Amino acid sequence: MLTYLIRRVLYAIPIALSVGLVCFMLVHIAPGDPINAIVPADAPQELVDQIRRDYGLDKPLPIQFGIWLGRVVLGDLGTSLATGRPVWSDLSVAIVNTLRLAVTAALIGFVLGCVLGGLAGSFQGTVIDKLAVGLAVTGVSVPHYWLGMVMVILFSVTLNWLPAMGAGPGGSSDWAWDWQHVQHLILPAVTLSVIPMGIVTRTVRGIVAEILNQDFIQTLRGKGLTQRGIFLHVVKNAAPNTIAVIGLQLGYLMGGSILVETVFSWPGTGLLLNNAIFQRDLPVLQATILVLAMFFVALNLIVDLVQTALDPRIKRA
Amino acid sequence: MADGAASAKIGAAKPAGTAAAAELAVQAREAALKSQGYWAGVWKRLRRDPVTIACAAILLAMLAAIVFAPLIAPHDPYQGSMLRRLRPVGTPNHPLGTDELGRDMLTRLIFGGRLSWFMGITPVFLAFVIGTGLGVLAGYAGGGVNMLIMRTTDVFYAFPSVLLAVAISGALGAGTVNAILSLTLVFIPPVIRVAESVTTGVRNLDFVDAARASGAGAFTIIRVHILGNVLGPIFVYATSLVSVSMILASGLSFLGLGVTPPEPEWGLMLNTLRTAIYVNPTVAMLPGLCIFATSICFNLLSDGLRQAMDVRA
Amino acid sequence: MITRSMLAAASLAALIAAAPGAATAQGTIRIGMTAADIPLTHGQPDQGFEGNRFTGIPLYNALVEWDLTRGDRATPLRPGLALSWEVDAADRTKWVFRLRPGVKFHDGSDFNADAVVWNVRKVLDREAPQFDPRQVGVTATRMPTLRRAEKIDDLTVALYTAEPDSLLPINLTNLFMASPKHWEAKRAGAASAEAAWNAFAADPSGTGPFRMARFVPRERAEYVRNDAYWGDKAKADRIVLLPIPEANARTAALLSGQVDWIEAPAPDAVPQLRARGMRIESNTQPHVWPWQPCFVEGSPLADVRVRKAINLGIDREGLKTLLGGLMVPAIGTVQPGHPWWGNPSFRIRHDPAEARRLLAEAGYGPQRPLTIKVQISASGSGQMQPLPMNEFVQQNLKEIGVNVEFDVIEWNALFTNWRRGCRDASARGAHAINVSFAAMDPFFAMVRFWDSKMAPPTSNNWGFFSDPRFDAMVAEARQAFDPAARDAALAKLHAAGVDEALFIWIAHDVSPRAMSPRVRGFVQPQSWFVDLTLPYIQ
Repeated sequence: MLTYLIRRVLYAIPIALSVGLVCFMLVHIAPGDPINAIVPADAPQELVDQIRRDYGLDKPLPIQFGIWLGRVVLGDLGTSLATGRPVWSDLSVAIVNTLRLAVTAALIGFVLGCVLGGLAGSFQGTVIDKLAVGLAVTGVSVPHYWLGMVMVILFSVTLNWLPAMGAGPGGSSDWAWDWQHVQHLILPAVTLSVIPMGIVTRTVRGIVAEILNQDFIQTLRGKGLTQRGIFLHVVKNAAPNTIAVIGLQLGYLMGGSILVETVFSWPGTGLLLNNAIFQRDLPVLQATILVLAMFFVALNLIVDLVQTALDPRIKRA
Repeated sequence: MADGAASAKIGAAKPAGTAAAAELAVQAREAALKSQGYWAGVWKRLRRDPVTIACAAILLAMLAAIVFAPLIAPHDPYQGSMLRRLRPVGTPNHPLGTDELGRDMLTRLIFGGRLSWFMGITPVFLAFVIGTGLGVLAGYAGGGVNMLIMRTTDVFYAFPSVLLAVAISGALGAGTVNAILSLTLVFIPPVIRVAESVTTGVRNLDFVDAARASGAGAFTIIRVHILGNVLGPIFVYATSLVSVSMILASGLSFLGLGVTPPEPEWGLMLNTLRTAIYVNPTVAMLPGLCIFATSICFNLLSDGLRQAMDVRA
Repeated sequence: MITRSMLAAASLAALIAAAPGAATAQGTIRIGMTAADIPLTHGQPDQGFEGNRFTGIPLYNALVEWDLTRGDRATPLRPGLALSWEVDAADRTKWVFRLRPGVKFHDGSDFNADAVVWNVRKVLDREAPQFDPRQVGVTATRMPTLRRAEKIDDLTVALYTAEPDSLLPINLTNLFMASPKHWEAKRAGAASAEAAWNAFAADPSGTGPFRMARFVPRERAEYVRNDAYWGDKAKADRIVLLPIPEANARTAALLSGQVDWIEAPAPDAVPQLRARGMRIESNTQPHVWPWQPCFVEGSPLADVRVRKAINLGIDREGLKTLLGGLMVPAIGTVQPGHPWWGNPSFRIRHDPAEARRLLAEAGYGPQRPLTIKVQISASGSGQMQPLPMNEFVQQNLKEIGVNVEFDVIEWNALFTNWRRGCRDASARGAHAINVSFAAMDPFFAMVRFWDSKMAPPTSNNWGFFSDPRFDAMVAEARQAFDPAARDAALAKLHAAGVDEALFIWIAHDVSPRAMSPRVRGFVQPQSWFVDLTLPYIQ
């Protein structure tokens, strides 16, 4: 298994490089001269020429990629066209905000999913099962940005229970886990959690049903194993796959939060991406996608390793 | 969201001994008969599943409405009158109300379905064709070709789908074609993975070796033995992707990256009706309900198909 | 010891504190802006005039300012950091400004003629260490004739223009005075001039009635009253600015109590806002919401008949209904009765038949339909409700046989493209651009569009309009230093512009704002700007 682990880690490196290549190419597939994508509108000609030299835009593409990669590795993610600030300063704040949102949403989805899936799997074929599955399917079928809009109208505007937008009274920079701030997190996190909830429910239901249907469970019961014992047994067997699923879902949430963050003006990477796209601020766009994709690669790696560690029976190519 | 590979169910074809051409023909016929038996079984199970039937019926009804839109829609989807804007559901002559520019909602929803379904199905269909082709090729050829295709797929798998769709659309700009392009690119990798894994499974069976030994060309083998087994699971997987595609496509329009005004499309309508929530919330919800209904029907249909095809030996 | 009443009081207090959006201090006004980001705070704001409104005027002063204290008359100029100014009788390209004594920047350094020269050089002198190419665009295009400044003594400075220009003082309302000492301190600790300006933006120093207390990029800017201000001190203790580009989110924020004041509420939400006790403020504005045509060869809008036809094809009253009445139909840059109206002969109205006739004359019809592409934004300062409005106009024009395609881009990007021109790649083949503009002074209202010398990159003649007759009329207005003569020249210019249909005029905004009833003392002048020193929270 150790060889597998090492191979897996090494394998992530070319993936990361290729991801970088795709991000790099984004600027070049955008219509127009790439120089317009990285130089502010009113830049004087000397500045344009200097940037052209710095980024090697007059050199062949592979060399440009090398230069870009070199900068990225050294931590220079470029300068925002719109604000003139270094991209990393805004991006680092946004990543933390999205992590807060995504982890909370993943936790909510995970807990709800396990409960619903467990209930459904334990009571297969009954009303409980159908209800739980119905909720799960609803979760993955509803357009979650629409759900977000509905929640804002209901809970903020009509009932006035929760705020409609933002990340706290002082902005996200003074985040604390107190009610003043957490109340801003509730609606977006719940909105974002419906898809993972649906998926985890289905996964857990499948696993639980399969395990409970196995003949040897009857044997165990016959031997006097308590409910609690069976429960533990189920959890142990379901854990690797479920953790894998929620781990991947966390990655999807990090990368896919743009719609919810737009509806709630949550100052995370999704909102940053949204602004960057419309402002044609390609350095910010490029850097944000790169960082999110890298995060996803790392997450995939961790999930693979954890899953293998928990259950070496899983066949690996 | 694109969750894992569908289980690959292989038809009941059994391996045979040394193959002469006649033997091969007999086996092919047997396999066909057996798979007829398999498909008949699938159909029988489907018939007894009320949820799947209901969903299929709803989807067919929607499809009919969309196809015959010009015939059944009461008004012009582009014509509106400012005096009639944001009328509520149940207004005479406008059963589902009117939108922010006074256009009939029922008409806009029906015509909107065209673009929404088109944006939902086309990328999946294109991904189905391209992905199956590449996946089968990778699975059948093995070796270097397999490595090349699968590793490239892994790179695109490194991006969460929403992110990739938004990134490509963002770079290319708004527009229906760009949105379809970016969504297709997002869905090709999962299809390739499923196709490749199924193909690899089938290709190693003895009867394929036998066929090859008897001199059958690669294309024949693929056509006769592999495609029949591969298309089923991929099809099921693809139906589950349609709902994701539809939500992503309307999400892109919601962000302003997909369809542009004045085209009716559910996601775009959701976007432009946002401010109408204060005047007429029901009308503002309707496009979202349509997306939800379509999406849930496709999901349940896909679940039903998977259950019907998932025979426990 | 904790008594029961203490517990009760504590829980009550906790409940109140937990109520969403409870203001944390008396006298804090929380404002929801339409911009997607905090406008730049280093002295020359971006994001259009909403930027000047919120991060220009409150933090800084200019030599000449607008008097925003009353709403019942057209907004006049008043002395700002300059007490008086006059043009030299002998050399009309030289203006002498006498500066206000005793003014200090927020960082404590003195305001004087050196500071003025320094600020002029930051956008006009490439060799200056403080030169910032990013600030050139928004500034230089608003004062294209300014060339340099020279100190005469500590409180007197001379400004030189390229040609005699009676409009210079008005232009100078856009040049905000940033603190040179403070910048130099930042420069000492920064790697480059650009980094210094970034540091300056995070910790700005101007002379204005508010100081920056806290700046969270992309999320909020908090101001605190400047108690050492040279003019009338602000009534509010603090101002908080929040970027909320989405009209619905802004409305929800106001209704849920998260903010006290929002710019540009969604018109459809206005009845509900009123029902919930919010106040809607609006006033006549020197604001024009047009399509600005491209005049280069190959553009269908280069033909005056096409431009006239499009003007006649638009149902402005219908558009007003769409906006809940919060709009004035535009039939020129100014309204009849304004000193610059000039009585044009082309009467802009809704006349589809005449429109079709003109289009046919220009060679378009069912056999050869006209398709035009317009670049628009989804939101932005002064842009009102761009998507529904443009979609409405698109529908109108469909009825006269004109197909309109939109290229929707972000506001700041659109605003930047406006300075680049329709020949530039950024225009992406658009034949018209939908950027609203301020019309409170002659340069802003007409000169920057109709003078051929104002073509990009100099200023906003995006369509490269060029006609010697108009250049002559502009020169006449520029050289009329007597107000009555200047008004007459401008009226002549305006009438000619309407007769040539140099714009597709569509709407005048009334700048609706929605406010909580707790906001008192607010005055909405007939201007794009507001005086933030006047309002306070009850």
